Amino acid sequence: MKANPLMPGNTALIWLMLSLSLAAAPHFYYQPLWVASLFFAMIGWRCLSLWQHWPLPNKQHRLLQLLQLTIAVGAGLLMINSYGNFIGRDAGTALLIVMLGLKVIEIRSHRDYYLSCFLGYFLVVTNFLYSQSIPTALLMFIVVILITTALISLNDKQQQLSQKAQLKLASKMLLQAVPLMILLFILFPRISGPLWGLPQDASTARTGIDNKMTLGNISQLIQSDAVAFRVNFDGDRPQAQDLYWRGPVLSDTDGVTWTEHTFPTDSLDITPTIINQGKRYAYTITIEPHDRHWLFALDLPESLPTSLSSKQSYTGELLSQQAIKQRQQYQLSSTPQFQLNPNVEPLLVDALSLPLNLHPKTVQLAQQWRQQTADPQVLIQKALQYFNQQAFFYTLSPPALQGDVIDQFLFESRRGFCEHYAASFTILMRAAGVPTRIVTGYQGGEFNTVDDYLVVRQRDAHAWTEVWLAGQGWIRVDPTAAVSQSRIEQGINNLLPDNLRAPLLFSQSAGLIDIWQQLRQNWDALNHAWNRSILAYGPELQKSFLANLGMSNPNWQIMAVYLFAAFSIILLISAALFLYQRDARDPCVVLYQQFCDRLTKLGATPPLHYEGPLDYASRLCITFPQYQSQINEITQQYIAIRYAKKSFPLSQFKQTIKQFKPRK
Amino acid sequence: MIAIHQFYQRFNQLRGRRVFILPTKFGLLYGGFLLLILLAAINYSNSLGHVLCFLLASMGQLAIHYTYRNMAKLELVNVYTDATFLGQYIPVHLTFDNPTQHDCYQISVSSKQDTSRSWNPFKNLTGYQYYEHQSMTHLAAKQHTQHLISVSSSKRGQQKIGQIRISTRFPIGLFNTWSYFNSDVFAMVYPKPEGILPLPSPKRAGQQSVGQVEKGVDDFSGFQPYRPGDAIHAIAWKTLPRDNVLRTKQFSSTIDGDLMLSWQDTTVLHNIEKQLSQLCLWLIEADKHNIDYGLTLPTLTIPPSQGPSHFHRCLTALALYES
Repeated sequence: MKANPLMPGNTALIWLMLSLSLAAAPHFYYQPLWVASLFFAMIGWRCLSLWQHWPLPNKQHRLLQLLQLTIAVGAGLLMINSYGNFIGRDAGTALLIVMLGLKVIEIRSHRDYYLSCFLGYFLVVTNFLYSQSIPTALLMFIVVILITTALISLNDKQQQLSQKAQLKLASKMLLQAVPLMILLFILFPRISGPLWGLPQDASTARTGIDNKMTLGNISQLIQSDAVAFRVNFDGDRPQAQDLYWRGPVLSDTDGVTWTEHTFPTDSLDITPTIINQGKRYAYTITIEPHDRHWLFALDLPESLPTSLSSKQSYTGELLSQQAIKQRQQYQLSSTPQFQLNPNVEPLLVDALSLPLNLHPKTVQLAQQWRQQTADPQVLIQKALQYFNQQAFFYTLSPPALQGDVIDQFLFESRRGFCEHYAASFTILMRAAGVPTRIVTGYQGGEFNTVDDYLVVRQRDAHAWTEVWLAGQGWIRVDPTAAVSQSRIEQGINNLLPDNLRAPLLFSQSAGLIDIWQQLRQNWDALNHAWNRSILAYGPELQKSFLANLGMSNPNWQIMAVYLFAAFSIILLISAALFLYQRDARDPCVVLYQQFCDRLTKLGATPPLHYEGPLDYASRLCITFPQYQSQINEITQQYIAIRYAKKSFPLSQFKQTIKQFKPRK
Repeated sequence: MIAIHQFYQRFNQLRGRRVFILPTKFGLLYGGFLLLILLAAINYSNSLGHVLCFLLASMGQLAIHYTYRNMAKLELVNVYTDATFLGQYIPVHLTFDNPTQHDCYQISVSSKQDTSRSWNPFKNLTGYQYYEHQSMTHLAAKQHTQHLISVSSSKRGQQKIGQIRISTRFPIGLFNTWSYFNSDVFAMVYPKPEGILPLPSPKRAGQQSVGQVEKGVDDFSGFQPYRPGDAIHAIAWKTLPRDNVLRTKQFSSTIDGDLMLSWQDTTVLHNIEKQLSQLCLWLIEADKHNIDYGLTLPTLTIPPSQGPSHFHRCLTALALYES
């Protein structure tokens, strides 16, 4: 059998398989098991072909070709079984991985090899659709180095470079490519996507606050360490007890579940009346994707964010036009004191409605209070005192409630979490005739001392209430504060059991927990900086960044001009660094060349390529008999320096050459 | 004006040879993939997608420098050829100089005889022997390196070696850079040794035929110290290790006369090339038999002698024969 001259070498193939495996590895976390099995089976087959000379599917082995076809068809069927189609993010990635696996066993030429390498790059891109974290970026650099090594190995057919040297060259190329990469990243005019429709599963579903609340919902969220959003304050930051991050407002209930009020469609355009008072805080929120529309704000913001299209609902919720499928940034300013709809409130009826024939004991208690006083302020105080003075406990793991949950909580278990207090307080107030509704969102957050920003995690999820008082509008009342003041003032972190504050290994002692929290703060600060400056670098951030650098009114034309100019400079510098070669010749050769040149000027033929110095000297002696001794001296010295391990001082040779001034 | 001209000349000197560089088809494919990645990154507003795209783009830009540097400073310092018979490949010995401080890898060397200018600029790119993958060499830093390529012989006589092309795709194969050296070296191509006529009998100077050619031509008769000019195949290599004296094997021959190979003897072939081929074959046979032989052509006569230089002289006469 004739060897195929285009068949990539074994080393090259191993590099390729290594890089592809690494590029595919992160996908196996969520892809079905058969995708990984198939991919590694194909890689294994090719490895066995390299080391054990197993046959590969080709024209000599028709049966194996049939087997390969069967595998491909089988993979297609499995894919339809798993995903139902071949489009979309997960299915597309699975298809790419399977195709690459099948390609690996049939690499027969340089073309196949290059195609596999380039598809490997694409596999890295698909990984970014799932995660853009710092480790993912590092993995990208490693994979790029490995694929480049694979390409070098392919082009170094005789393997004159050792594998280590190939890897080193690839790493060097990567490092040298970084400056231009940074330049392109900053200056390449960004276009805001999407250019075409995104598949349905373009982003992963996340946990987060829901627009309905059943008792027990939020206490599940506190298990989650995931970041909800991060806040950078410009200047002062509010006190901990003012950190109420407003989310969905829930006013409808069936006795168990609370839902948002459904507006008739024509009333969607009603804007709430908001009067902001007191100290003003400006801040930037970087929100993690949660696949819903609401944007969190510190209570009621003064105006809508400019960086994304949004509106404010009548209940004061900030709603994005599009679901938050990607990390977004928006700037807001708020005042902790405000009045919301102080004079007119069409939703009062809803804020007073109670589910029919439910919570009899609760309603009875409220009506008793109502008979004593009609002053809503006093009624609120009565309820809060009730929570405070009776044996109510704030706990993250409340007992499961059965039957009439509100009655059971208020009169029997009396152990609950914010949602229990908010829900029962609302029922009490409504029964007493005070318009009340539940507001969900986050309260508090952890201040990151490393980089001076606030992290709000899912575990900071909270539910509180608002009551409407004529002339004052909706007033925030947090019944949880009546039970557990520290939840509001110090945040939830200190209330968490140790196993939720740090992993098992660290949760043994307070010191280790502190170290863990410190590490986590550092890591989170790094991630936040990464998210804010690298991942959020889109058209808007680019404009503001370039404007900060001094570029007036940056648009894509100006960016292109700057990019071109900077690119030319980098190109010039790199070309100069690459191509500038110091005269690396032996100084003694340079001196000898001067000697030859002087004689050439006088008409002697310059040394011929086959002529050694001795032959040249004897020829010169015939042409210039008057310089015979000098020519011989110089030649002897030259030979001594050049061929006899520098047995003659170079300085003296220099002197000799200097003194040699032949004339006609 | 003179200053500008001088500057231009100096610039040309510094620039050296023209070095061309273009992306290979894989380079174009790479560009296509970059575009695809950029589109995907824009569509998904994916920042790391942008980073990867820009990283690969600047790696591609770097590949231009690396590929160019791998070849730009190389010089062809010497070319010589060995004489060969028509139909065989001409060995062309090339000496390259790598004056740089880094090794140059995977330099592919090819040659083209037809260097005529053409209206078609792409004609310059085609027609090379050993175009890709075949004749690769590695040139170590600051060294001269010899490289051998073979060029097919096309016709009898002096054949021009023509253009030598060196090219490389190292390190990552996205770009191909190439350059030309014009060599004015000729290779001597002897006629193809073939024919059907038997070797003529040796003749005495006086046109007298002597019989018994076939027998006793290579009867071994003893050694004689080597003299320059003795046929290489007659050297007694096996005796050399004994006492380090180079000897030539002597053959006694019943033929004591010179063999004159004459154009006249081949006229029955009625074709100049066939006649030359026949004479060439005879010369080879005569050279093997270690006898003195001469050559008579209509245009010149070479007196009988033997040895490599005589052999070469006769063959050259055939190669250059023009009626």
